[in-house]
Amino acid sequence: MELQTQDIANVLLIRVEGRIDHTTAKHFQDLLLPQLNSCSGEAKKALLDLSGVHYMSSAGLRVLVLAARQCQQQQGEIVLAALPPLLQEVFRISRFDLVFKVFATVRAALEHLSPTAASAYSGA
Amino acid sequence: MATITLPAHLDSLTRGLTLVVECAIAAGFPHARITEIELAVEEALANICLYAYPDSSGEVEVRCVRDETQHFLIELIDTGVPFDLLARPAPDLTVDPTQRQPGGLGIPLILALMDHVTYYREGDRNILRLAVRLSL
Repeated sequence: MELQTQDIANVLLIRVEGRIDHTTAKHFQDLLLPQLNSCSGEAKKALLDLSGVHYMSSAGLRVLVLAARQCQQQQGEIVLAALPPLLQEVFRISRFDLVFKVFATVRAALEHLSPTAASAYSGA
Repeated sequence: MATITLPAHLDSLTRGLTLVVECAIAAGFPHARITEIELAVEEALANICLYAYPDSSGEVEVRCVRDETQHFLIELIDTGVPFDLLARPAPDLTVDPTQRQPGGLGIPLILALMDHVTYYREGDRNILRLAVRLSL
């Protein structure tokens, strides 16, 4: 699995690709959490694009909880976007969809986080 | 149908899941259902790998069987500490995940994704059976 990051105005867009299970979750954690060090207040908000993650078990959910905790501690905001069907189901079962802000598309998430970032974004 | 015995270690997950996925494909499940089966088995297998043998190493047997009641069965058998996941208190999923104790999400996923889950202890063996209805 791998991450790609892109700064769009005051939003850090993190695209996650690959499978997150009990054997890859630690790698995901080691890649993701340092990226969130700058996530704080209005200065930098984090957006996880999960459209490339077609498999995530509870080990991946645990990493998302750690990410959310880290952002909370830094008074930062993190939101999620573009969950494939299996992830939507996993979120519904785990009730993560009631707690995390989840958007259908990256653009919808950007519009929530930052009008400046949304207008600067060229993707869907 | 098929059986594999593996060291009860996370390094074994991929081999165990590969067997289950191959059997689920052979049983004719659609892709989306196979992924759900894989996810439920991963959660159960990871529990065994992480917790069945706290003070020693051990093995886990993964069996795929098609039974006479139109179910695809995955049995996970270990000789570790007795562990009935059905008797575990469910985590309170209404509490903000960032405020909960970490972990505990695997069992709700198993129960939600499988059609039937049974556990029994037979001698020194834990036998966890995950059943998935075959579409007719």
